[in-house]
Amino acid sequence: MTATSDPTQLSELAARATDNRVNLDFETEGMTLNMGPQHPATHGTLRIVARLDGEQVVSAEPIPGYMHRGYEKLTEVRSYPQINTLVNRIDWLGSFANEVPFILAAERLMGVEAPPRAQWIRTILFELSRIANISLFLGDYGLQLGGMTAGFYAFRDREHVLNQIEAATGGRFHPNYDRIGGLKDDLPKGWIANTHNAMDKILAFCDEMDDLLIGNEIFQSRTRGIGVIPADIALSYGLSGANLRASGVDWDLRRDSCPPGLVYDQVDWKVWTHPDGDCFGRTWVRFQETREAALIVKQLLDTIPSGPVMAKVPRIIKVPEGEAYVETENPLGAMGYYIVSKGDLVPFRVKIRSASFNNISVVPWVARGAYVPDLISILGSLYFILGDIDR
Amino acid sequence: MSQLSSADTTTETPAEDEAPVEVDERRQAVLDELTRRLGADAVVGSHIEPGYDLWVRVTREAWPEAAVAAKAMGYTFFDFLSAIDWLPSPFGRDMDAQEDLLGDPAPAKEPQPIVQGHAGGETRFQLLARLYSISAGMGVLFKADLPDDDLSVGTWSETFLGANWHERETHEMFGITFVGHPNLIKLYLPTDFQGYPLRKDFPLLARRVRPWPGIVDVEPMPGGDDSEGDGE
Amino acid sequence: MGLVESGKLPKTLSKLLNISRKYSIWAYQWGLACCAIEMGAAFASPRYDVMRLGVIPFPASPRQADLVVIAGTVTDKLAPAVVRLYEQMPDPKYVISMGSCANCGGPYWDSYSVTKGVDQLIPVDVYVPGCPPRPEALLEGIILLQERIAHEDMAERWKGEPIVVG
Repeated sequence: MTATSDPTQLSELAARATDNRVNLDFETEGMTLNMGPQHPATHGTLRIVARLDGEQVVSAEPIPGYMHRGYEKLTEVRSYPQINTLVNRIDWLGSFANEVPFILAAERLMGVEAPPRAQWIRTILFELSRIANISLFLGDYGLQLGGMTAGFYAFRDREHVLNQIEAATGGRFHPNYDRIGGLKDDLPKGWIANTHNAMDKILAFCDEMDDLLIGNEIFQSRTRGIGVIPADIALSYGLSGANLRASGVDWDLRRDSCPPGLVYDQVDWKVWTHPDGDCFGRTWVRFQETREAALIVKQLLDTIPSGPVMAKVPRIIKVPEGEAYVETENPLGAMGYYIVSKGDLVPFRVKIRSASFNNISVVPWVARGAYVPDLISILGSLYFILGDIDR
Repeated sequence: MSQLSSADTTTETPAEDEAPVEVDERRQAVLDELTRRLGADAVVGSHIEPGYDLWVRVTREAWPEAAVAAKAMGYTFFDFLSAIDWLPSPFGRDMDAQEDLLGDPAPAKEPQPIVQGHAGGETRFQLLARLYSISAGMGVLFKADLPDDDLSVGTWSETFLGANWHERETHEMFGITFVGHPNLIKLYLPTDFQGYPLRKDFPLLARRVRPWPGIVDVEPMPGGDDSEGDGE
Repeated sequence: MGLVESGKLPKTLSKLLNISRKYSIWAYQWGLACCAIEMGAAFASPRYDVMRLGVIPFPASPRQADLVVIAGTVTDKLAPAVVRLYEQMPDPKYVISMGSCANCGGPYWDSYSVTKGVDQLIPVDVYVPGCPPRPEALLEGIILLQERIAHEDMAERWKGEPIVVG
């Protein structure tokens, strides 16, 4: 599976994309289709109000807010460890990844740095959460497009990763393992060998998905050329993560501005991009990222240093005054926390920049002229988690 | 604040760029370029965290131009747009446990003054936005003061399409109007919701009804002595 | 024939009917948030298979469902949809509230937009605590519900006051 940069294919795709523009010559009567808050094809409670002209979408407006829990207000009355627990539940599939930028921002304000062993384990768990998140995406995307087998395989193979996360942190989801200054606990005995095995199984799963889904004719015809987002529009909307890399923009926060606290510079890895910017490109980039994540974890497991896992921090954490913003490459995109602290137990304001919020704001732009089944393709490939949109 | 990435043996003076750190000069250059494009009376405050971030405070009138200028300088990635309410919460921080009161000499009774953060400020509400440049590998944080009696400002949604939703969210959470926005309606909250939740004087009613019992350090042993309960 | 409602059914026969009902539940998942993933793991993954208990997941619509599992945070914006869903289900119907958010508001107990528990909207039969509850916990909740169905008196259910929602 190679990305296409062939100019004839690209121009053909561009022609197909312009072909899907709205046809307003006929005198047809439109219909309003409400893909309600509960729908099997939306990852949760997202409501999309689509105005149709026959089978084509004239305008599609997502209405978020059905999972709005008020995170930014809740953080103003909780202490930092309590916020850490809460923040796990924003992107509820790759939960550890939500804690990382928050802890890194707090560590920057406090001026502490986690010991090397903690940084290694943090990065390993970060990548494990990425695998857990995206393997479900692959399965679920297949489910939405009608290939239900992929869903069952994804759930089964995800269990290997969840086993490892549970062995280290105690929770399959919502590990609440990261602490300001390090981690809660050290790894149990035998974890490294078991995780090596789990990564081998994930690589086998990726090969299976390659045959089952990515190489599938129907999948390709449903996703190639659909939902093309050019790079400048993607940047203007603030798309991030695999969505942006699939439009050809070579930007990865792990490589380009890795914050202190994660150790991506110690590993040999590759950033994947795709020039097309269509649904297939986004799926393909994510798929390669899963494989890459498994390889990164294997490299990191071989080089874990020994030592303590927690730096010396006071028991009651009062973060000094200041403001800090840390953004990391989460499984869904670029997630960041802007912490305003007044030197108290409780932050003054926390602004959560969640990736899916920007990712979904592009739907009105990209869905114009698409057909209704293509709308499902587009939504699935943009890949959002409702907790991430609605916070 | 310890410098983690730039390991030069410079003193830890925050912000004032005496330290000869290379990244710091880049941010100073960005600040100078922005000041040149917008005019020196539009940029009213700034703060550089060497190695990390640049804060620029512009006037409310210059807010839409700041977006255009930054985009022309290569800051094409729209990160987020929101606001900060600098009023200290009249409800305190809702955590009155014994642990908290140990350090404080006496709880303050008079209303706390409004103190803004980086890049200064004079008003209660401040807009906050961030743009990022992929080619430069740097981001810029923009702030703007909004006067209390006229919470309105020009929109960024023509320059950056993603600002559309962010401005809608800021509007419903703080009550700030964005002039020129195509569709300024509620995003998250139901249409009949009253109030602006992220303002500091919006109470969380569940905590008014039942106050948080405090940070519990150690739970009493079950069936033990009948002490007053946990941490109150 | 009206035997069940009027209570004239012999006890062994009503026990047989209860057993057959408890092993043929069609469960509708109203998966909202993180608990939906654990519910998906319980219902659809081969590891915590729920079909061995006689519960089949994924009905085509709530109008064909016996059980609804509300998994995840219920917000005020979504509350009318939950009530409407409950009204669409035909009797006899059961509700399992899964996770702390659906039980009592959970970690968002003080939020301005969260309904503090789904039992403020619809009557709940079984509460499964946890954040998120393990798939085994949900299976235990289903088994508890099955025990409850086994000891149910259908005549009471028919003759009693209708459950009025809202």
